[in-house]
Amino acid sequence: MSTQPPILTIEELEHAYGRISVLEDVSFDIRSGDVTAIIGPNGSGKTTLIRGLIGLHDPTAGTVAYHGPDAVRPIGYLPQRPAFRSGQSVREAIAFYASLVGETESEAVARLEQVGLGDATDRNVEALSGGMTRLLGIAQATVGDPPLVVLDEPASGLDPEMSVRIFDVAEELAADGAAILLSSHDLALVERTADQVVLLDDGTIAGLGSPARLRAETGGDTLLEAFEAMVSGDAGTVRVQGVST
Amino acid sequence: MSAPSERSEPTESATEAVDWDGTPSTAATLGRLVRRELSTALRIRTYVGLWFGFVGVLLGIAWFGGGVRTGYVSTIIDLLTPLELLVPVVAFAFGYRAILDDERRGVLDVLRTYPLPSWQVVVGVYLGRAIGLVAVVSTTLSFLMFPIFVTERYRPVFYATHTGPDSPGLFLRFIVLTVGFALVVLAVSIAISALVSTTRTAIVAVGLALFVLLFLADISLVFGLARGVFEASSLVNSLAFSPLSAYRGLVLETTVAVTAGTGPRTASPIASFLGLCVWWLGSLALATVAIRQ
Repeated sequence: MSTQPPILTIEELEHAYGRISVLEDVSFDIRSGDVTAIIGPNGSGKTTLIRGLIGLHDPTAGTVAYHGPDAVRPIGYLPQRPAFRSGQSVREAIAFYASLVGETESEAVARLEQVGLGDATDRNVEALSGGMTRLLGIAQATVGDPPLVVLDEPASGLDPEMSVRIFDVAEELAADGAAILLSSHDLALVERTADQVVLLDDGTIAGLGSPARLRAETGGDTLLEAFEAMVSGDAGTVRVQGVST
Repeated sequence: MSAPSERSEPTESATEAVDWDGTPSTAATLGRLVRRELSTALRIRTYVGLWFGFVGVLLGIAWFGGGVRTGYVSTIIDLLTPLELLVPVVAFAFGYRAILDDERRGVLDVLRTYPLPSWQVVVGVYLGRAIGLVAVVSTTLSFLMFPIFVTERYRPVFYATHTGPDSPGLFLRFIVLTVGFALVVLAVSIAISALVSTTRTAIVAVGLALFVLLFLADISLVFGLARGVFEASSLVNSLAFSPLSAYRGLVLETTVAVTAGTGPRTASPIASFLGLCVWWLGSLALATVAIRQ
């Protein structure tokens, strides 16, 4: 893990939809140069946490404080299902977002090359595969060189090769100095890539630290075993927050 | 749109991080949003069909109503009531999904991470769609001037009792007023698009809005007059409350009444204009607040 001071500090974050509490007492730091991965069962609050960190909704309690450098766009964001205006080419799509922060079209195309889409600039966005759309979404998330890049399940539904490619890109961005926060269900790739893992279970942090630390804490040989040891509930039962006990 | 560090008690450095120096000017950003919206609108082939349908319906009404062969003002009279229905329908078709589609596809969430105020998103979307709507409404009505010019022949008989001359200038004035009315209704539809969360609720909301605009607002005026909520003497001003009545009043006062000469006032042009401005600005403000949530 990086020894740099935190770029984002999350303290005692809570979020509730009405009377149903989705996040409780969530605290951790995110550092530049690190890949921080949020993992957890479906419905554990990963997307709610990510949306709270970006500012897409206000937390019920707690604070999220950005300590990063001045930037035209402090946080870049890739949603779970990135979408672009139909009829646009890949170049037009990225150039539009780049123009919002004063970047030129050539700088936008350079971002496409950075994620491996340099040969697809003239392709229509509707003709992209799921993986290529995610890569375009990641290129969009890096527009403006945000110090923190948030990727919500960037490899969801992709084949293993494309998933590896997506995580490699995230690792490259972190190596360039950005703080990367991503959520994923692919524990093997998280174990290989992440510097810090935030394991959410039922809206609370069930485990926090490097993959090696989580393995050591549970005595598991893999992150999957650590995950299974730390997550409460029965296999085969979907936990519903506010209902399951 | 919201900056990440503007929420939840930011630190001093957090506040500094939202200093947006180096970002494009407001005009440049709006230009890009408008271009994106316009290019999207140009790709929607439904609008071409809408234009042909609009031309066909208005031409049919003007032709079979006899207004085309009589003159410009008689055509205005023939078209006014149908346009009160058709313009809102066309304007809603242009705007009811404009913001909703971006919201449902997560595009608005992404835009919220850019240094882009909500009002710029609303105005950019509105202007982009407005260009298409203005093109459809103005070209359709302008197209109707041609058959009037070619076929009008009964004007001296029809206007024997009228004091003013019939002229293309009055019809151009009618086109401008109708385009303005369309822009106001488009703003209402953009507000609806920002308030709803699904296409189904958008369609229901559009139906309700049409009912309110086309019937309820006018009926409320009649009810208010009958119950003494406002005086009969202030009716010409009260008509400005409804965008439909305001448009109708503006057309009657600035085109038909000009030709007819003397007669009772049908509306207050200033109040009607202000009424339309309130609906226009209020709707765009509502849309801005809605997408900021």
